[in-house]
Amino acid sequence: MTEGKDELDELREAVREFLAAKSSETAVRAAMKGAGEVGGGYDPAVWDQMARQLRLPGLAVPGDYGGDGFGLTELEVVLEEMGAVLLCSPFFATVVLAAQALLASGDEAACARYLPGIATGQTTATLAAAEGNASWDPAMVTARAKRTQDAWTLTGKKSFVIDGTTADLVLVMARSTAGPSLFAIDRSAPGLHAEPLTTLDPTRPMAALTFDQVPAVLIGAEGQGGALMSRVLDLACVALAAEQAGGARRCLEMSAGYARTRFQFGRPIGSFQAVKHTCADMLVRTELAEATAREAARLADEAAADFPVAAATAHICCSQAYLFAATENIQVHGGIGFTWEHPAHLYFRRAKSSELLFGGPAVYHERLLDRLGI
Amino acid sequence: MPDDLTQFAQQAREFLDARAVRPAQHAEFRWGVGDDTVAYFGADPPQVEERKLRAARDWQRTRYENGFGWISGPPEYGGRGLTPVHELVYDSVESQYDVPDTGTLSVIGLGMIGPTILAHGQQAVKDRYLPAMYRGDVIACQLFSEPDAGSDLASLRTRAVAVKGDGEAGAHWILDGQKVWTSVAQHSQLGMALCRTDLDAPKHKGITAFLVDMSAPGVDVRPLRQMTGGSDFNEVFLSGVRVPDSHRLGEVNGGWRVALTTLMNERATVGSEGGGPVAEALSPERLSALMRATWTWDDRALRRDLSELLAGMMATGHLNARAFRRLQAGVAPGPEMSVAKLMYAQNLTRAAHFVSRVLGPRIIADTGEWGTYAWAELLLATPALRILGGTEEIMKNILAERVLGLPKEPGIDTRSPFRELPKGAP
Repeated sequence: MTEGKDELDELREAVREFLAAKSSETAVRAAMKGAGEVGGGYDPAVWDQMARQLRLPGLAVPGDYGGDGFGLTELEVVLEEMGAVLLCSPFFATVVLAAQALLASGDEAACARYLPGIATGQTTATLAAAEGNASWDPAMVTARAKRTQDAWTLTGKKSFVIDGTTADLVLVMARSTAGPSLFAIDRSAPGLHAEPLTTLDPTRPMAALTFDQVPAVLIGAEGQGGALMSRVLDLACVALAAEQAGGARRCLEMSAGYARTRFQFGRPIGSFQAVKHTCADMLVRTELAEATAREAARLADEAAADFPVAAATAHICCSQAYLFAATENIQVHGGIGFTWEHPAHLYFRRAKSSELLFGGPAVYHERLLDRLGI
Repeated sequence: MPDDLTQFAQQAREFLDARAVRPAQHAEFRWGVGDDTVAYFGADPPQVEERKLRAARDWQRTRYENGFGWISGPPEYGGRGLTPVHELVYDSVESQYDVPDTGTLSVIGLGMIGPTILAHGQQAVKDRYLPAMYRGDVIACQLFSEPDAGSDLASLRTRAVAVKGDGEAGAHWILDGQKVWTSVAQHSQLGMALCRTDLDAPKHKGITAFLVDMSAPGVDVRPLRQMTGGSDFNEVFLSGVRVPDSHRLGEVNGGWRVALTTLMNERATVGSEGGGPVAEALSPERLSALMRATWTWDDRALRRDLSELLAGMMATGHLNARAFRRLQAGVAPGPEMSVAKLMYAQNLTRAAHFVSRVLGPRIIADTGEWGTYAWAELLLATPALRILGGTEEIMKNILAERVLGLPKEPGIDTRSPFRELPKGAP
């Protein structure tokens, strides 16, 4: 797509309208209830409508594989809107993690086999990379891949797998004699067991997976897992940053709205500088967060050399901005913001969980310095 | 970039290729080699400052004579008649060349006061001053703040009293009062002064703006010394200064509107600051070289601070880049400029403190070691950045009130006549 501002605005409007109808707070809370159960955590009817009416799963899948061939710039807009309403959906794991891993593998046969299903919404998918130590670093992978004649089998454990009990297709980072490599396994494959985890953020279900000689298909070249994960994490960081920027913007709107209408001492609390400046700080960080996420997406689409640096920057800025906005949003609301019934805690949970998903500050600062070559 | 901008950028490059040098292709930075100055405020001896000012004026004249002196200005006053986007394009092309720094002329005079004169000046004044300013002949300063009118600018008290014309002397005004924090006043030929002209009107409605000839009798400029040790701003005393009515900007008692024009341009100017020797010193390679030279390379806490700092600076860069692209696409700017201004102050402050943590005792005493104590100037300069061009607190009020629609602080009296308002501390 060109720099066409109008087309992006139209996309945003369409997605926003759809989500207003399908992902109200009531709908989010209903989906959340199933997050700790096998097969739960989202409304399959909404996923189906999202695919049929808006073709969102295929938005950034190349035309050759049945998608609409748009880029990260368009995907970023969609993810901002999804993050703003805490949509419970297999979208992130399927369209970002799994589809981007397939594309990054350069394995045309695998792309032709799996991506068309993802593009139409027929297939949901995920990427199982982290294990018990929660690291996404492929060097830390211990799950084993064994070759037996013409076939591969996987044995080991994965954890923190997003949508791990529902995804039809599970891409797994496992170690062969050549090093970390990417494999695909089917949800119904024998020897695969998925156990739902209780999550801090119930709008993003996770599972622990156990593999006992599960038949698998090698994706891409054996031993290329390191380079592949580096690319996938850069893209996933930008996608996550978009969700975070959208969530931060929503927290800012909630706080500003409340500060305008909540009266104490006979005046709106937003007229007190202590509250006003908190809101201004939220605005500053949100503006920065949005700029970094959108700019990183643009650089990805231009295949710019400084994309990895921009991705790492966006991940840091958006993580910090969202956590700040979600935390201060509770503070601005006071007691009501601490109740279960108020949505503020849902944003706090998502913000904290997103900050730490790929390792958090302990990892992301070094990633930025690494991408800068220092 | 649209065709005409591409063509314009090409013209700019041709002009610069003929008259300026391109700096050597980003020579690899080597620790201990070259100038280690990291100064936000200049601290040059008078003769060096004089030489730099002359070079700045000469370069502005060269720009002007070649159609790059006032790119977005109207042709009848020596402008090129193009758009603010063309200005930005020129700036980005020129930043790739080694040319004299024209900040003394451009930041306040050309950036803020020029546009104000254009919007509110009388014909004779526009004809006289605008071409002279953009040609580099006239430097202008801003006579706004007073000892008792800082963030609350509208409470200013410098008086202007009208004197009717009689015989050969036309109608004019007599100005009395004291201005403060006046940057570049010592170099200026022209000042834009806000004065109280009606004590019985509410404070925003009794102010009038004037252009003051800085060499007129009764104008006394006294340098103030700032905490870095240098003198970049002044006090300006006005004692019975005579100003012709033709030098009034806008309506009598309409000065607040005029001031807003100036201040809007100020925020745009300050927010866009990014280049200069400070930016170069804060590049990732320079900062990592500093860590290597001080054997703090693998200090985990410092590495984390470095990442925080670089992320903040790059994010601000992305914000500016997006604002620039929106402007190019004809989209009205959002709050990016105010946000960029706040971030600029935060980034430089964070940088100065990061560097001081890396240097440790080397920044508290000058041992003569290259690239160490040189950072002290920046460290001492950074408190200014959270104050100048509107304090951080006022900027946040503006963002919250104008962008988020939060209500104003109650109890601020904007209705009573100025003369009835409480003055100073009780």
